[in-house]
Amino acid sequence: MKNIVLLFPEIFLTFWAIFILLWGSFYPQGRKSFIYLSLFGLLVTLISFLPLYFLGFLPWAEYWGVDPLQKVGGWIQYPLVSRMISVDSMSVFFKLAVLMCGILVFLISIDYEEFLPIPMAVYSFLLLISTVGMMILVGSIDFLLAVIALELSGIPLFILIGFILKKGIGTEGAIKFFLVSTFSTGLLLLGISYYYGYFGTTNLVSLLSLGRSPDLGLSLTLILLLAGFGFKIAVVPFHMWAPDAYEAAPTPVTAFLSVAPKVATLGFLLRVFYNHQALRLNYILAALAAITMTVGNIGALKQDNVKRLMAYSSIAQIGYFLAAFSAVGGLNGMGSQALLLYVFIYVFMNLGIFTGLVIVSNQTGEENVPAFRGLAQKSLGLSFLMMVFLLALTGIPPLSGFVGKFAILGSLLKSQGLLWLAILMVLNSVVSFYYYFRIAQEMFFKDAEPASKPLQFPPALCASMAIAFALTFLVGIFPNSLINWIRTLLGS
Amino acid sequence: MNFSAVLTWLTFTPLIGAVAILLSPKNEARIHRWVAVAFSGLAFLLSLWVLLQFDPSNPGIQFGENYPWIATFNIFYHLGVDGISLPLVILTTLLSLISIIASFGIDRRTKEYFFWFLMLEAGMVGLFLSLDLFLFYIFWEVSLVPMYFLIGIWGGPQKEYAAVKFFLFTLFGSVFMLLSMLALYFASGTGAAGSERTLDLIRLAEIAGKGGLHLTIPAMLVFLGFFVAFAIKVPAFPFHTWLPLAHVEAPTPVSVILAGVLLKMGAYGLLRISFPILPEATKMFIPVLIVIATINIIYGAFCAMAQKDMKRMVAYSSINHMGYCLLGMCAIMGNPNAAHAGIVGSVFQMVNHGLITGSLFLIVGVIYDRTHVRDIDAFGGLASQVPIFAGIMIIQVLGSMGLPGLAGFVSEFLCFLGGFGGNFDGYNLQIWAGISIVGIVITAAFFLRMIKLVLLGEFNLKWGGQMPDLTARELVTLVPLVVLTVVLGIFPGLALDLMNSTADRLIQIVTLKPF
Repeated sequence: MKNIVLLFPEIFLTFWAIFILLWGSFYPQGRKSFIYLSLFGLLVTLISFLPLYFLGFLPWAEYWGVDPLQKVGGWIQYPLVSRMISVDSMSVFFKLAVLMCGILVFLISIDYEEFLPIPMAVYSFLLLISTVGMMILVGSIDFLLAVIALELSGIPLFILIGFILKKGIGTEGAIKFFLVSTFSTGLLLLGISYYYGYFGTTNLVSLLSLGRSPDLGLSLTLILLLAGFGFKIAVVPFHMWAPDAYEAAPTPVTAFLSVAPKVATLGFLLRVFYNHQALRLNYILAALAAITMTVGNIGALKQDNVKRLMAYSSIAQIGYFLAAFSAVGGLNGMGSQALLLYVFIYVFMNLGIFTGLVIVSNQTGEENVPAFRGLAQKSLGLSFLMMVFLLALTGIPPLSGFVGKFAILGSLLKSQGLLWLAILMVLNSVVSFYYYFRIAQEMFFKDAEPASKPLQFPPALCASMAIAFALTFLVGIFPNSLINWIRTLLGS
Repeated sequence: MNFSAVLTWLTFTPLIGAVAILLSPKNEARIHRWVAVAFSGLAFLLSLWVLLQFDPSNPGIQFGENYPWIATFNIFYHLGVDGISLPLVILTTLLSLISIIASFGIDRRTKEYFFWFLMLEAGMVGLFLSLDLFLFYIFWEVSLVPMYFLIGIWGGPQKEYAAVKFFLFTLFGSVFMLLSMLALYFASGTGAAGSERTLDLIRLAEIAGKGGLHLTIPAMLVFLGFFVAFAIKVPAFPFHTWLPLAHVEAPTPVSVILAGVLLKMGAYGLLRISFPILPEATKMFIPVLIVIATINIIYGAFCAMAQKDMKRMVAYSSINHMGYCLLGMCAIMGNPNAAHAGIVGSVFQMVNHGLITGSLFLIVGVIYDRTHVRDIDAFGGLASQVPIFAGIMIIQVLGSMGLPGLAGFVSEFLCFLGGFGGNFDGYNLQIWAGISIVGIVITAAFFLRMIKLVLLGEFNLKWGGQMPDLTARELVTLVPLVVLTVVLGIFPGLALDLMNSTADRLIQIVTLKPF
C-alpha cells in the first residue's frame, strides 16, 4: 500500500463523516452547523484533488512516496494503490463530479423547509458516506469492491429517502427502493459469481484483456451485470422504482438521487464495458438507450408532480447517456468524450432545476407543476434562471445541454449503423420540450395567485443557483476548455 | 471610416439592450420602451452604415470576422455579409425598430416584452450574418425561444396552444437540421491535420465544389434534413399549419416580425446552406420544390380567399407570397439569365414581402385596436371616415397584389421570369410556373374584395366615433414602409444592385461552373 496517499480524499471524507456523526451525538439538536461542517469537509476533499491532479507536474512526487505517472490503455494511470482500486484520470473526473453533486445538494439542504425541525447530524453523515461510496465505486477495478461500494452508497440512500417520517409515502418509496436495490445487488452477485467461474478472479483486468469475442455463457454473465447496474441507474425496463422513490424523498435527497448515483454508476460502467464492441454488447446498449429515452420521455408527459416529472426526465437523460455509451468506440473515442461532457453538464442543469423547486416549494408547500404558476410575476429572475435550466435540459443552444447533445449526436453519427438512434434521440428531444415547457408555461403564461408568504432567497440556495447557472451558461457558450480538459483526461 | 467588428456590434447591440432592460426597474414601462427603441434604433443605424460601406460589385463576403471559437471541434465565430444577406439584415433591423414603436401600446409586463423582443432581434440579425453552421443553428434557436414567449404571454385567446404549436413545429424541423449539420461535419474531412472537419459555410461549399464531401448517408437525406427545417419556417406546404394560428394569436407587432423576418429565415437557409453545399441533391429536389411552390401559391391564395378574419387572410397570403419566393429559387439550375432573375427575384420578394405584409399586419392592427374586431364583414365605407388610413391601406394592398409601380410587382415578375426559364435536364418547370400565374389572379380577387368590404360601400354606423384616423405613432410605423414600397417599385435597382453579383456567384457555385 505504498501509494495510499492517492486515496487521501476518500479517507479524509470517511473520517470527517464519522467525526460529524460523533459530534452529532453530543449536540443532537444542531442543524446548520452540521451542514456547514459537511460542506467544509467536501471542499477540503475537493481541494485535496488539486495536488493529485497536478501530481504529474510536481517534481516532488517521490517525496510523497508515490511512483511516477504512467499511461495504461487510454487513460492516464496514477500508480496502482492496490489490485482493487485504481486512481486514474477518469476516476478523478467522476469523483469530482460526485463531489460537486454533494456540495450542491448540501447547499440545497440548508434551507429546505421540511428539514427545519430536524437535527441534521445523521443526515449529513449519511449523505457524506454515500458520497464516499460513489467515489470508491468509480475507482474500483474489482467487482467485489464495486459491490461493496455500491452498497455503501445505496444503504444510506434508503434511510435518506424515508428521512421525513411524517409522510406516509416516504416509507413506501424507501421500501420500494430498498427491495429493488437488494434484488439488483442479487443479480449483480449472480453475474459476478459466473464471472469468477470464467476467469477465476473478480478482477476487471481479465475482462479488459479478453483476447477473443465472448461465448454465450460470458455474454449472459455480462448481461446479468448490465442488468444489475441498470437497476441502479433506472434503465428501462428496470426503472419502475424511480418515480416513487423520487416523489417520496425530501427534495434535496431527490436531487442527489437524480445525479450522483447515475454519475458514479456510469463511471464504473464505462470502465467495465468501454470496449463493448469487442464484447458484442453494442447493440444491446443501443437498444436499451432507445427504449430508455423513449419510455422516460413519454412517461414524463402526463406527470403533475415535478419530482415525478424529473424522475422520468432523468430516465430519459439516462437514455441519452447510454446512447453516448453505445457509441463509445474505445476509451478515447468521441463517445466517451461525449459521455464525460454530458455527465458534467447534466449535474449542473439538473441540480439547478431542483434548487428552483426547493425555493418554490418552500413558499407554496407544493411540489406539483401548478406550484410554479405565475412565478414570472413574483420573481422574474428566478423564472429566468429556471428557464435557462429547462432550455438546457431540452437541448436548446446556446446552453450547456445543447453542447452535450451535440457531442452525443456527433458520436452517434460517427459510429457505423447508429443513425437510427440519433434520429430517435432528436425526436425524443422534441417530445421532452413538451413537458419541460409545461413548467415554463405555468411560470410565464399564467397569472399568479395571491400567496400566503413571499418567496425567500436564502444565501445558500442563491449560491447553489449561481453555481449551476454559471456552469450551465458558460459551458454552453465557451465549451472549449471543458472539452479540452476531458480530452486530456482521456488521453486522446 | 472603418471599424472591423461592426457586424458583432450589430448583432450584440440588441442583446446589450435586452440586458439593460432586464436590469431596469420593473414597472417603468416608459424606460423599457425607450431603451428598446434606442438599442434597436442603434442597430438600424449600424446596419445602414454597413449598407453605405458595402461594395455591391464584390460578390464575396464583406466585413468578415472569423475567430476560433470551439477549437476542439474546429468551429469558428464567423460573421459576414454579402448581397443576399445584407438586404435581409436591413429588413430585420428596420422592421424590429418599427415593431418596437408599434409595441408602445403594450402595457402589461413591458419589461419582459421588450427583453424578449430585443433577444429576438439579436437572434434574427445574428442568423443572417453568421457563416458558420454551428453559429447559424444557435441563432436559429435563439430566435425561436423569444417568439414562443411573445406569442404565449401577449397573444390572443388561444395563445398557449399557438405558442406550443409554433415551438413544436420549428423544433421538430431544427433537430433534423442538427443531424444534417453533423453529417456534413463528418463528411467535410477526416479530422487529421490538413483535412480538418468544418462547419464553415464558405469552406463547406468549396469542399462540395471540389467533390470533397464524403457523406456516409445519401446526400438526399442530408438535404431533406435541412429542407424540413427550412420548409417549416417558410412555411412550405404541407408544413404550414402552424402559421395561421400563430399569426392570429400573436400581438400585431409580433405578427409583423413573424411574417416580415422569421419566414425569411427558412428561404434564406435554402439559399445559403442547401443550394451551395448540396448542389446535386438540389438538382434532384427542384422538381419537387417547384410543385411545393405552386401549391403554396395556389392553395395559399384560395385559403386566404376563404377567410373572414382579416389577420388570417393576410397570414394565408404570406403562404402564397413565400410560394413566389420558392418559385424563383427553383430557376437556379436553368439558363443563367433566368437563374439570375429567379434568385434575385426571390431575395427581392423576401424583402418586399417583409415590407408589404408587415405593413398589412400593422394596418389590420390599427383596425383591431380601435374596434377589437377583425371580421372582414363588420366594416364598410371606412374610406370616408379615415382617408389617410384608407390611402395607406390601398397602396399596400395593391403592392401585395403585385401592381406595377409598387415593389411587389418587380419581385413577383422576376420570380416568374425565372420560373419560365428554369427548365433543365428535361425537367419542365414552365408548366408549374404557368399554373402559378393563376395565383396572382386569386390574390387580386381576395385583396380587392377586402378593399371593397372594408373601405368602400356604406359606412357601418356601429363604429361611428370609434374610428379616428391614424395617430402620429401609427404614421411613424406605417409611412416608412409605404415609402419604401413605392420607392423600390419605381427604382428596384436600389435593391437589385446589391444582390446582382452575389446572385451570379451563387448560381455559379450551385451549377458547379468555374467562377
